[in-house]
Amino acid sequence: MRSPALAIAWEFRQRHRWGLIALAGYLVVLAAVKLLIPGPSLTFSMDSAERFGVVVMGPLATTFLYVLTVFSFGLSGDVAGRSSMYPARMFTLPVSTTGLTLWPMLYGSAAMAILWLATRFLAVWPPGFDIPVIWPALAAVSLLAWTQALTWMPYGLPGLRVIVAVLWLGVMDSIVLVALQYKAPEPVMLAILAPQIPVAYVAARFAVARARRGDVPDWRRPLARLGPVAEVLPRRRDHFPSPERAQAWFEWRRHGRSLPALVGILLPFELALLWLARDAPAFVFEILFLALITPPLMAAFTAWTVSRPNPQVRDSYGVSPFIATRPLTSADLIAAKLKMAMWSTLAAWLLVLVAMPLALEWSGTWSVVTERARRMNDAIGTPRAATVVLLILAGFIVATWKQLVQSLHIGLTGREWIVKGSALLTLTLLILVGPIVEWIIDSPGVQRAVWNELPLILAGLVGLKMSAAAWIATRLDRNRLLGDRALVAGAACWCVAVLALYGVLVWFFSTPFVARYLLALIAILAAPLARLSAAPLALAWNRHR
Amino acid sequence: MGRPPAPRPQLRRDSIDGENHGECPCDYNQAAVRAGGGSKVSESVISVSELTRRFGATTALASVTLSMPRGAVYGLVGANGAGKTTLIKHLLGLLRAESGSVRVFGLDPVTDPVGVLSRIGYLSEENDLPGWMRVDELIRYSRAFYPAWDDGYADELRQTFALDPTARITNLSKGQKARAGLLLALAHRPELLVLDEPSSGLDPIVRRDILAAVIRTIADEGRTVLFSSHLLEEVEQVADHVTMIHNGKIVLSAPLDAIRESHRAGQRVPSLAEIFIALVGMAAAPAREA
Repeated sequence: MRSPALAIAWEFRQRHRWGLIALAGYLVVLAAVKLLIPGPSLTFSMDSAERFGVVVMGPLATTFLYVLTVFSFGLSGDVAGRSSMYPARMFTLPVSTTGLTLWPMLYGSAAMAILWLATRFLAVWPPGFDIPVIWPALAAVSLLAWTQALTWMPYGLPGLRVIVAVLWLGVMDSIVLVALQYKAPEPVMLAILAPQIPVAYVAARFAVARARRGDVPDWRRPLARLGPVAEVLPRRRDHFPSPERAQAWFEWRRHGRSLPALVGILLPFELALLWLARDAPAFVFEILFLALITPPLMAAFTAWTVSRPNPQVRDSYGVSPFIATRPLTSADLIAAKLKMAMWSTLAAWLLVLVAMPLALEWSGTWSVVTERARRMNDAIGTPRAATVVLLILAGFIVATWKQLVQSLHIGLTGREWIVKGSALLTLTLLILVGPIVEWIIDSPGVQRAVWNELPLILAGLVGLKMSAAAWIATRLDRNRLLGDRALVAGAACWCVAVLALYGVLVWFFSTPFVARYLLALIAILAAPLARLSAAPLALAWNRHR
Repeated sequence: MGRPPAPRPQLRRDSIDGENHGECPCDYNQAAVRAGGGSKVSESVISVSELTRRFGATTALASVTLSMPRGAVYGLVGANGAGKTTLIKHLLGLLRAESGSVRVFGLDPVTDPVGVLSRIGYLSEENDLPGWMRVDELIRYSRAFYPAWDDGYADELRQTFALDPTARITNLSKGQKARAGLLLALAHRPELLVLDEPSSGLDPIVRRDILAAVIRTIADEGRTVLFSSHLLEEVEQVADHVTMIHNGKIVLSAPLDAIRESHRAGQRVPSLAEIFIALVGMAAAPAREA
């Protein structure tokens, strides 16, 4: 391997071989579906945009996102950091900056174009759809090129990369969407997209050159001038009352502020849409729903860093010696993470709960919400309406916390094969879930079978969950990670949570059509147990290798 | 600046201070005397028995047996990749013994991390202090874990090491980070101080003047120091007892003076580097300090 171009290609192939093999497998499955199922009998009735989105666009977006992340080196970099995400180790290679920029862009562009063309020709598209060939490929390539340029650029402030990338890529997407809205012909689309690629290349080359000479701007100095002001403000200088409190503080400072910050960045943009929705009440509720799902959605992103045992070190899955040598048990270290997740969730929701009424009031859409609330009041009564709203809110808050902590047992194992295998499994499920749901919806026979067997399916899942929990509890006890009292207290808390949830479900679904035991099974499945209990086990496995 | 040679100690094969499993090319095992003092050994702070560790096809530690009594300075020497850090990681519980056993203060560091780690001061070779913290925050955070933390001593060390309390760790130089790490390792007056390759981070002034003085003070107070290094001159300056490790095996473990005396050629006392080369060969010899 004497060529730098081949060496760079080899690294992409070698590092992401399992992901790329899975991608190839996905395309083979697409081809097999098309070949094995003859055209006339294929009755995917994608008569709505939602169905089309679930069956085709979901898997398509997932695979494109994966390729985008691989070729922008996004899987190993710190997206919120100031430094370039281009791997610094490559800057010392005897390769020109043009070469360092060009080859990853070229390989990425080729991968994107091949992925689109393969999807275009191998996937089953709904009848009556005239799917273009060239411009979507060009759109994917330009999206990748801009992503590469924006992620490889060093920035003056932490987090600025995310904001710039979201805004710039949003603008680029909007241009394409507007052109589509006005039914622009293919030559116009090409004329819009093609020039972007060389411009993005120039920007990317500038970014790599800048990063290579260590030119990272620092715009924090104006903020540093506020230092004396910060000194005047009350600052905690007292001692921590316990090691557990110190560790909770550490986790909060390290990870806790990410979720509120992300929600704080997105919320103003979302709520600003309320000013456009004064005359469209339905749109107001869509915006409010978007604002409500922002914390759990962002929690899913931040969970990745929370569950990383050593976020300071790129490409590292092990616990850092600094943390591993803290005189705390692995269970205490996990407890600090859980507490941090709780405070982070509450901070994010405080922002939502303060910003939402203010935005409704200032945008003049408050009356739309009060009118709907009044109607709900009339229909089901004040206590029931208030309880429903509170329960929905509590559900969102718990879902946010759950998103933050439910992958701890994966990330904290510190085993690369588990972390990457889990990511691959999640991607596969994301790709498959849409078509499977669609298949069930389209097949009344299958629906009947699923409905008839639902208690058995749920009971099987409950059995699986409880077996896993019992095995984990045994291991926790055997490895002395948790004392008997802590295990019993944890089990009691879980039982209380299940009972409370069951009570809520019974109250909510007070209908003879849903059996009580089904609600009990759902409550057992919904309350987190096995994955949460596995977190100390995962950390101990990583900490004491 | 070597200490004056002690009277030639009585070397015994049935020592209780450590073993070398037949691989040791020297003609003694361990001595039941403390170098320099000659007093009887007390209880073991560290007790490693038949410890073996493999990473894939590589055997990092092969049936290592070692015992370190309280109140002495132990130098763990060996070339890069000899197994020094692997041994230290076992003592801290960062690695689980595949076979054999590890006891620190009589406790298993894997099953009782709190009992062991709260009594150890550790300076990591990796220098992985959290970069986002300020020096004063780092001290405030660390003190919470150690009931014996001495605020006055911590402040004294901070001033000796010239560390600005408002400076962020990420903005410190490599040497300053190592000093901050040393401050954290020392300020709770640990019963056992473990320094993993301190020479890789600390500058020569801190190493020769401050570190050496601190180590001696700790030993004089009856506490124990274990430090690993590939710089043999550095070890010679402060260690009472030297354990040489090569390819995962202990080739020599004895009081420093006993080692010197046993390798004396007439009036000439050989250096540790010369002894090491004689034992394991030139190719495997650790670096000499520049």
